[in-house]
Amino acid sequence: MNDALPWPILFLPLIAAVLITLFTQKRNGLSAALSVGAIAISFVISVILFVNAGEAAFESKINWLTVGALNIDFGMRIDSLSLLMLLIVTGVGSMIHIYSVGYMHGDPSFSRFFACLSFFTFSMLGVVLSNNFFEMFIFWELVGVSSYMLIGFWYQKSSAANAAKKAFLTNRLGDFGFLLGIIMLWSITGGLGFATLPKPGTTATVVGLLIFCGAVGKSAQFPLHVWLPDAMEGPTPVSALIHAATMVAAGVFMLCRVFDVFSLDALTVIAWTGGVTALMAALIAVQQNDIKRILAYSTLSQLGYMVMAVGLGGPPQAMFHLTTHAFFKALLFLAAGSVIHGLTNEQDIWKMGALKKKMPVTFWTFLAGTLALCGVWPLSGFYSKDSILAEAFKSGHLALFGLGVVVAILTTFYMFRLFFVVFLGKEKSQAAGHAHESPKVMTLPLVVLALMSCVGGLIGIEPFVGKQFGMTESHETLAIIAPFVHAPVAAFAGLAAVMVGFLAAMSLYAKAQTDPLPAKLQGLAILLRDKFYFDELYARIIALTQDALASVADFLDRWIIGGLMVRGTQGTTELVGRAVRFVQSGNLQFYAFSFAAGVAVVLYLVLYR
Amino acid sequence: MSPLPYIFCLPLLAALLIVVIPRNYKFVIRGISLLATFGSLVAAITMFCQFNGAPIMEGGFRFVQKISWVESLGINYYVGVDGINLGLILMGAAVAFAAVAVSNRIQTSEKEFYILLMVMIGGILGAFASLDLFCFYFFHELALVPTFIMIGVWGRGENKNFATFQITLYLSIGALLVLIGLIALWLSLPEGQRTFDIVALTEYFKDPAHRMGSGAQHLIFPLLLFGFGILVSLWPFHSWAPLGYGSAPTATAMLHAGVLKKFGLYGLIRIALPFMPDEVKSWMHILAYLCLGNILFCGLVAIRQRDLNLLIGNSSVAHMGFAFLGIASVSLIGITGTIMIMVAHGFLAALTFALSGYLYEQTGTLDMEKMGGLLRRLPFIGTVMIMAMLAGCGLPGFANFPGEAMVLFGSWNQFSLITVLAVWGALVIGGVYMLRAIRTIWHGDKAQPEYADAAGLWRKFPYALLLAGLLVFGCFPRLLTDPIKSSAEPLVRMAAGEGAKAVLIAPSDDVTTIRAATHLSK
Repeated sequence: MNDALPWPILFLPLIAAVLITLFTQKRNGLSAALSVGAIAISFVISVILFVNAGEAAFESKINWLTVGALNIDFGMRIDSLSLLMLLIVTGVGSMIHIYSVGYMHGDPSFSRFFACLSFFTFSMLGVVLSNNFFEMFIFWELVGVSSYMLIGFWYQKSSAANAAKKAFLTNRLGDFGFLLGIIMLWSITGGLGFATLPKPGTTATVVGLLIFCGAVGKSAQFPLHVWLPDAMEGPTPVSALIHAATMVAAGVFMLCRVFDVFSLDALTVIAWTGGVTALMAALIAVQQNDIKRILAYSTLSQLGYMVMAVGLGGPPQAMFHLTTHAFFKALLFLAAGSVIHGLTNEQDIWKMGALKKKMPVTFWTFLAGTLALCGVWPLSGFYSKDSILAEAFKSGHLALFGLGVVVAILTTFYMFRLFFVVFLGKEKSQAAGHAHESPKVMTLPLVVLALMSCVGGLIGIEPFVGKQFGMTESHETLAIIAPFVHAPVAAFAGLAAVMVGFLAAMSLYAKAQTDPLPAKLQGLAILLRDKFYFDELYARIIALTQDALASVADFLDRWIIGGLMVRGTQGTTELVGRAVRFVQSGNLQFYAFSFAAGVAVVLYLVLYR
Repeated sequence: MSPLPYIFCLPLLAALLIVVIPRNYKFVIRGISLLATFGSLVAAITMFCQFNGAPIMEGGFRFVQKISWVESLGINYYVGVDGINLGLILMGAAVAFAAVAVSNRIQTSEKEFYILLMVMIGGILGAFASLDLFCFYFFHELALVPTFIMIGVWGRGENKNFATFQITLYLSIGALLVLIGLIALWLSLPEGQRTFDIVALTEYFKDPAHRMGSGAQHLIFPLLLFGFGILVSLWPFHSWAPLGYGSAPTATAMLHAGVLKKFGLYGLIRIALPFMPDEVKSWMHILAYLCLGNILFCGLVAIRQRDLNLLIGNSSVAHMGFAFLGIASVSLIGITGTIMIMVAHGFLAALTFALSGYLYEQTGTLDMEKMGGLLRRLPFIGTVMIMAMLAGCGLPGFANFPGEAMVLFGSWNQFSLITVLAVWGALVIGGVYMLRAIRTIWHGDKAQPEYADAAGLWRKFPYALLLAGLLVFGCFPRLLTDPIKSSAEPLVRMAAGEGAKAVLIAPSDDVTTIRAATHLSK
C-alpha cells in the first residue's frame, strides 16, 4: 500500500500542468482549481504517508535505462528526510498556490502561471523523492527550467527575460560540476545510488566538491549567488515558493541526502562557502532599497547558514533551519507581495511607510515573520539558528561560530530597517496613503504561515530528521527552554545578537525619512549597495574568455575554414576545370592531333622500352 | 507481411506516379506525396510495434527480404531491420511526413519539387534498410543528388549559389571517398569470398582468422572514416552544413540535417568499426579530438551567429560531435548513446528547421536582431521552438538527454579530459546560444506586426508529431536502447577487439572489489 503512495504525489501536479497547457488555457477558474487541487491532494497523501510511515525507510522503483554497466532506476525513496521535505513542498506550496489565485487575478496569462507552478511542483517533488543521483540530476534540471519559465513569466519585460536567462545559465555552471561528479562517482563505484561511497582520499574529495557545485548553483552560494536577487523579477508568489522556500533549498536538501559522499576536506570547504555567503549576503542586504531584493539577500544569507551547518557535519540542523526558514521566508515574501499589491506595484521601501493601520493582517503577520527570522525566543527561527550556532561551537569551529553571530546581528538590523521604514513612521509617498488590505484569499495563507513560523521550532523537526543521521536527542528537558540548558553560550549569544541588531536599527530608522547610513559609511555603503561589483566582474570575465573565444572561433570558421579552404578547393577545381576545358576545345584538328600523339606515345612505350 | 518494403517503396512509387500527372494538378501531386509518406509513417510505426514479436532471422535481423538482383556481381536486393536502424527508420519516416506537410510554401515547379522530394525520402529510408553494400550506397546517392538540385533551385538567400556549390563539393567528395573505401574493401576480400552482403561480411570478419590484413586496413579505414565523417560534418569539414541548411528549402534541410546526415554515422558503426578493429585503436583518439572541434568550436561559433538558420546549423554540427564522441569511445554505452542521439537529433533538427521555415515565411527574415517579442504573436510556434531549443541544450525529458548522457558516461574512461570539455559544451555553451536565441527571438517587448500562428490541428500536426517523438523517447528511452544495445553489442565486441570485455561491462577494473567492500562495511 505505502509503496504505491509516492507515485500520485509526484505525478498529480504533472498531470495538472499537462491538462492546463493542453485544454484549459482560456478557462482561468478551472486551471486554478486543477493546479491547487493537485498540490492539495499531494499534501494530503504526504500526510497519510507521514502518519503511516513508521521507522523504516522504503523504496519503490522501476528501471529507466540499462546499457552495459550503466543502470539507471527511476525510484521513490521515502525516509524521514524526504517525508519532511514532501510536507514542506506540498504544505507551503499549497498555501502559495492559494495565495496566487488572488495575487495573479486578472493577469492575461493566468492559466500559464498555474501550469508552470504545477510543473515546478512536479520537478521539485521529483528531486525530493529521487533514490539515485541520475534521477536527481534529471529533476534538478527540470527544476531549473521551471524556475526559468517562472522568472521569465512576464517575458515582455526585458529585465525579467534577462534575469531568467541569467538564472538558468548560472545554474548550468553548477550543474556542470554536478554531472561530472556523478559520472566520476559512477566510474569509481559502478553505481548511481546514494548508498555507494567512494574510497576516501583525494578522488573522493574531488567527487564531493564537484557534487557540491550543483548545490552552489541551485542554492545560490558564493560565487554563483548572482542569479538569485535578479530572480525577483518573477511574480511574488514565485519568489516565495521557488526562490525562498523550496527550490533554493534543494541544494541544501541534496547535500543532506548525499551527505555520506563528502570527505572531511570537502566538508570544510562546504562550511566556509556557506559562512562566506551568509556574511556577504547579509552585508549587501543592509543597503538595498527594493523590498523583494532585501528579502532575496536575506534568503541567500540564511541558505549560507544551512550550507554551513551541513559542512559542520550537521544535516539535521540544516534541515531544521530549512524547514523553519521555509515557513517564515515564504510568509515574508507573501506579506511583501501583499504590500506590493496594496501599493499597486511599488517595491521601493522609501516610498512606503505607515502601513500598520491600513494593512493590519499584513502588518502582524510580517512582524511574526521578522521576529522568527531574527531568532527571537520562542519563535521557530530561534531554535533552528541556535542549533546551527551550537553545532559550530561544539565542533570547535570558533571562527565560523563568530561569523554566525555577526550574521545574526546583521540579520536583525536589516530586517528591522525594512520593518520600521515600511510599516511605521510616516507615509513616504502618495501610493502609501492609498494602500489597502489584500483580499482574504491572500491573507489567509499569511495567517497559516505565521502560525507555523511561531510554533515551528517546537514540533520536533530536528529529532525527526536526526534519527536518520544517527543523532540521539535527550528528551529530559522541556523543548521550549532546551537550548539554554544544552548550549547556553550559543543561545545567549544568539539573543544578544538580536538585541544589538534591533537597537541599532531602531536608533537609525525608527523615524527616518531617508537612509542615514550612506552618509555615515560613505564608500562602504556604495560598495554594499552595488553588491561588491560581482555582476560587473563576471561580465568582464565572460567578455574576456568566452566571448573572446567565440569571436576567434567565428573568425576562423568564416575566413580560414569557410574562406581559404573551401574557396581554395573551389579555386583548384576551377583550375582543373579550365585545364579540362582547354583540352575539350571542340576543335577537330586538335583532337586528331592529340589522338595521333597519344598513339605515338603508346607505340614508343610499347616498342622501344 | 513485412511492413518494411512499404516504408521506402511508397515514396519511390509516388515519385513515379507524379511523373505522369500533369503539372497543373497541384493538389493531386501534393495529395499523393502526403498519402505516400503517411503510408510509410504508418508502416514504420507498425514495424516499430511489431519489432519485438517478429521472428529473428540471419544476423539478428528481422523483417528480412532478399531477392537476387545482379547475380554475376553478387548484388542482391536485401533489406532487414535490427535495433540499430529500427529507430532511425521510424524517425526518418516521421520526418519525411512532416517535411511534406510543411512544404505547402513551395509555389514554383511543384511537380519537380515533389518528385525530387519523394526520391530523396525513398532513398534515405532505403539506405537505412539495406543490408547489401551496393544498395546501401546506391540508395544514399539516390537521396543525395536531389538534395543538391533542391537547394540550387528552390533555395533562398544571397549565398544560395555558393552554398549549393559548397555542399555539392563536400558531399560528393565524402561520398566518393566512401565509394573508394567500399570498393577497396570488396577487393581486399579473397576471391570467392567477395560479396556485398553486409550480414555475410559481418559474420566473415567475426572470425579472427579472417581479419583483414593490416595494410588493407591502414588504407581503407581512413577513407571510410573521413568519407563518412564529411557526410556528417566532422570538424573541420563541417562548413558546408550551416550554410547549406541556411539556404536550403525547409523540407530539404529537415530531411538532410535530420535523416540523411545520419548515414555517415550509421556507416561507421555498421561497417568501418567492426570490420577493421586494428585501425580503430589508433584513429579513435584522433576522432575524439576532432569531435571537440564540433562540440566546442562550432558551439562557440553558434554563439556569435545573428542568422537563426546559421545558429541552428552550427548547433546541429555541434550535436554531431557528441555522436562522434560516442563512436570514438568504442564502448557499448557510448555507441548506444550515439544511436540514441542520431534518432533524437533527427527529430530535433527537423523540428527546428521546420519552425525556422515557418518564421521565415511569416517575418521574411531570419536575422534574430530584427525579431524579438514574437512569443505574443506566435504562441504555438514560439512554445514549440522554445521546447525544441531547450531540448537542444540537453534538457531531460527530451530524447537528446539520455543519448548525450550515455555518450558522456561511456567516454569517461577512455577520454576523461575530452569528456569534461564535452560536458562543458553540452551544459554551458549549448545553454548560452540556445537561451540567447530564445531571449532575442521570443522574449522582450519589441513591437511586431500581426503574424499568423499555426492554427488548427492540421497545421500544428507536423510540429506536434516531431515534438512527440522527442518526448516519448526522452521519457522512455528503453523503447530504443533495449533493441539498440542487443544489436550493437556484437559490433562493439568486434570493434573493440581484445579489450571488449571492459568496454561492455565494467566502468573500471576494481568495481567489483569496491562493491564488495561497501557491502561488507554496511
